[in-house]
Amino acid sequence: MPDYSDSYSDLMQRALNEDNRAYSELLQKTAQLLRPYLAKRLLFANDVDDVLQEILLSVHKARHTYDGGRPYLPWLYAIARFRLSDYLREHYADDLKHASDIADWENLLPNDVTETAFSYESIRAEVEKLPAKQATILQLMHEQGHTAKEVASLIGMNESAVKVAAHRAYKVLKIRLMP
Amino acid sequence: MNKIDDLIAQLAQHNMPRRAAPPFLISLKWLAYAAAYFLIALLVSGTRPDLAAQFRHGEFLTETMFLLALIVASSVGASYLAFPDVYQKRWLARLPLLLFIVFMLFLLFALRADMPPAPQPLHSWQCTITIMLMAMLPAVSTLWAMRRFAAIQRGMAGSVAVLFAFSVSALWLRLHELNNSISHVIYWHYLPMLIFASVGWWLGKRVLRW
Repeated sequence: MPDYSDSYSDLMQRALNEDNRAYSELLQKTAQLLRPYLAKRLLFANDVDDVLQEILLSVHKARHTYDGGRPYLPWLYAIARFRLSDYLREHYADDLKHASDIADWENLLPNDVTETAFSYESIRAEVEKLPAKQATILQLMHEQGHTAKEVASLIGMNESAVKVAAHRAYKVLKIRLMP
Repeated sequence: MNKIDDLIAQLAQHNMPRRAAPPFLISLKWLAYAAAYFLIALLVSGTRPDLAAQFRHGEFLTETMFLLALIVASSVGASYLAFPDVYQKRWLARLPLLLFIVFMLFLLFALRADMPPAPQPLHSWQCTITIMLMAMLPAVSTLWAMRRFAAIQRGMAGSVAVLFAFSVSALWLRLHELNNSISHVIYWHYLPMLIFASVGWWLGKRVLRW
């Protein structure tokens, strides 16, 4: 892998000497460098964009702590890891806060677990109001009977992303359908 | 133009702030402030009457040297921890905690060697409170100064900053209080520093957000 460290350090050095174009170029290159790093660790493109913005803002806020005398990339990745873990911590804390307790569902669960209380047909209208991707996933899983893995290969997502999207769709349906 | 490009265009218009001084200079500044605070406190409170004689005892001298080393190491550690990449010298950030462990081991050996044990002073927890009160100003000002940087190991940074302030305070009390009991200083001077360092961890997580 080529070592880009020097060019980044050089750009930052110029940026610190009030060269705004060098700074802009540095941030562009930083964004290009970090996008695949974040895409590997986050499921959705929106999340990648959000975290990338957070990191760029943090790099901007912390730029006075870089003096050009040491490699740029370890400094940058320290900030990137910090913001990514902050984001993930908040994201999962938020998910846990909104997670439904199994006890809330007990009264709604049918006695015979092989039969569902709802048929897909009865909720089709609500499913169609969901965002297109979620609606497609539910249709493939519940109308056509595909597994999450099969759906993932059919629509070109990974399996976890399909499960997360389905889970979000269930939450929306639960709010809309439950009295 | 997407939102990342917009953001970059906005950020690039800002002026560059003044570069932060290297951590060893920051640490030197903090040490100078701590030294001034320590000397003023000692001038106001006075030293123990047998101080010159105590310095002729190996244990007391070593204990004082350890405290001085802890002050320097924690000041250096805190200044490095204020930088996001710990100035790429992570070992310096861990040095104060390592030194504190060695210091405690030394005190345990000194305790075993303290035969017959020196008499315990009449007071006990008052020393912990005194150290805490004396450490307040340096702790708050160090944490405040660290907020100007960009610590990412915030817990550790808070902990080391508090350890710095408490070491200064503990050294002042050791030179002021007429007391030769090793067990007293272990239980009421130094072990509570660990508890306060944990409070510093908690504080750092909150105060050093950026």
